[in-house]
Amino acid sequence: MALIEINNLVKVFDKQTVLAGVNLSLVEGDVKVVMGPSGCGKSTLLRCLNRLIEPTSGTIIFRGEDITKPEVDVRALRQSIGFVFQQFALYRHLTVLENVTLALRKIRGMSRSEAKEKALHELSRLDMAIHCDKYPSQISGGQKQRVALARALAMDPAVVVFDEPTSALDPIMSREVAMLIKNLHRDNVTIMCVTHDLLLGRYLSERVAFLDHGIIKAEDTFENLCNNHSDPQIRSFFEREASTS
Amino acid sequence: MSEWARFISDLLEQMPLILTGLGKTLQLASLISFTGFLMGVVVFYLTLSQRGIIRRLINGYISFFIGMPLIVLLFLMYYGLPQWGIKLTPFTVAVIGFTLNVGAYNAAYLTSAFNGLDRSELEAAKAQGFNHRQIFSLITLPQVLRLSIPALTNQIINNLKDSSIAFLIQYTEFFARVQELASTNFQFFKAYFFAALVYLCLVSIIVLIARALEKKILIPGIFR
Repeated sequence: MALIEINNLVKVFDKQTVLAGVNLSLVEGDVKVVMGPSGCGKSTLLRCLNRLIEPTSGTIIFRGEDITKPEVDVRALRQSIGFVFQQFALYRHLTVLENVTLALRKIRGMSRSEAKEKALHELSRLDMAIHCDKYPSQISGGQKQRVALARALAMDPAVVVFDEPTSALDPIMSREVAMLIKNLHRDNVTIMCVTHDLLLGRYLSERVAFLDHGIIKAEDTFENLCNNHSDPQIRSFFEREASTS
Repeated sequence: MSEWARFISDLLEQMPLILTGLGKTLQLASLISFTGFLMGVVVFYLTLSQRGIIRRLINGYISFFIGMPLIVLLFLMYYGLPQWGIKLTPFTVAVIGFTLNVGAYNAAYLTSAFNGLDRSELEAAKAQGFNHRQIFSLITLPQVLRLSIPALTNQIINNLKDSSIAFLIQYTEFFARVQELASTNFQFFKAYFFAALVYLCLVSIIVLIARALEKKILIPGIFR
C-alpha cells in the first residue's frame, strides 16, 4: 500500500493554476524523484503535502487518511513529514545542535539531555557532531544541508521530502548531498525529492516523474524519457538537462 | 564670592531636591523603557497576526502614536481628561502616555528588523510543526531583538531625555529641580550646563551597557 497517494491535486493561486490535477504515489521505503522545469509546480506540490500550502481540490492520502480534510491535525501531520529546503533554512541564531534539539524539546517535550542525545545521534550519522557548537554562518553549504537533514530526521518522520536539495550547492557538494540522500534510502527512509538536477535524479532513482504545467506528464526511466518518449518536449527537457549536467 | 562659588553653594544646598528629582527621572525613564518595550513586543506580535483586521488596527495605532507629538498626548491626558471626570496623577499620565508612544516606536523598529529576516526559517519552523506563537517566541523574536538593539538603545536614550517634558505636567523630575535652581540664582547657563552634563553621563552609561549587551549576544557572521 502506498504511504502517500496524491489524487487529482489542484492548486489555483489568484486564477493561476499551478497544479492542474496531479496524480502520484509513493510507497513506503521508496524514493520518488519529481523533475520539471522552473515554475512547473514542484515546490507547490511538496508544500501541499504538509499543508504549508492549502490545495484547492483533490486528495492526498497519507497513511490511509485524507490529509486535505479540514479536521486534520496539521501540526501533527507536519511532524511526520521531514522537510529539507532548497536554502537549508537553518535557524541562524541557534547553533547546529540547537537547530536539531529545538523541535525535540519544544514540540516533542523531550528534556534537554534527551534531546541532545538524540540530536547528537543524528548529527553523528551525518558526520556533523563535531560541528555541533558552530553557528550556521560558520559551516559550508553542504554541511548546512546535512544539519537541515539531521533536523528533519531527528523527528523520526515517515517520509523526508527534499525541495531542490542541490540547487544552492557547487557540484562537489551536490554529489556529497546526493550520496547522503542515497544512503538514507539504503537505511529504508522513504524519500520524495523534487529537483531539476538530472545527476541527482538519476543517482537517486531509476524512474522519475516529470511535472509540467501542473500535471505529471510522464513517469518512466530516464532512458525512456530521454530517448523514446513520444512527447518531444519531454525528450528535449531531459536531453537539455543531460547536456548541461 | 565669585559667580561659580555662589552657583556651587546653591547647587549643594539644593542637592537633596535635585537628587530626588534625578531619582524620579530615573524611575520614570526605567519604567517607560520597560513598559514601552513590552508594549512594543506585543504590538509587533499583533502586526504579524493572520487576521487582516487586527493588522490594520495595529498599523493604525502605530501611525497614530508616531504621528502625534508626545507633549500633545500628555496634555490631552493631564489637562483634557479631567473635563471628562478622569483625573490621573502626573506620574500615571507620564507612564501611560510614554508607554503608548514608545510602544509604537519600538514596534516599528521590530517590524523593520523583521523585514530583514530570512522568511525560509519561518517556513521551516512551520514545516517542523511549531505553532504561530512558538515561531514568534523561538525564531522571530530572538533574531529581531538582536537586530534591533541599536534602535532600542536609541529609544531608551530618547526616553531618558524626553522624560524632562514630564515637568510640564507637574511631574517634578530632575529637569524641574534644575529649573528651580536656575530661577533662585538666575545662573541659567550654569544650571542648564550642569543638567546637560548629568544627562550626558546617564546616556553614556546606557550606551556602554548596550554595547556590552550587543557583544554578549553577538552571533558570528550574522549580527554585525
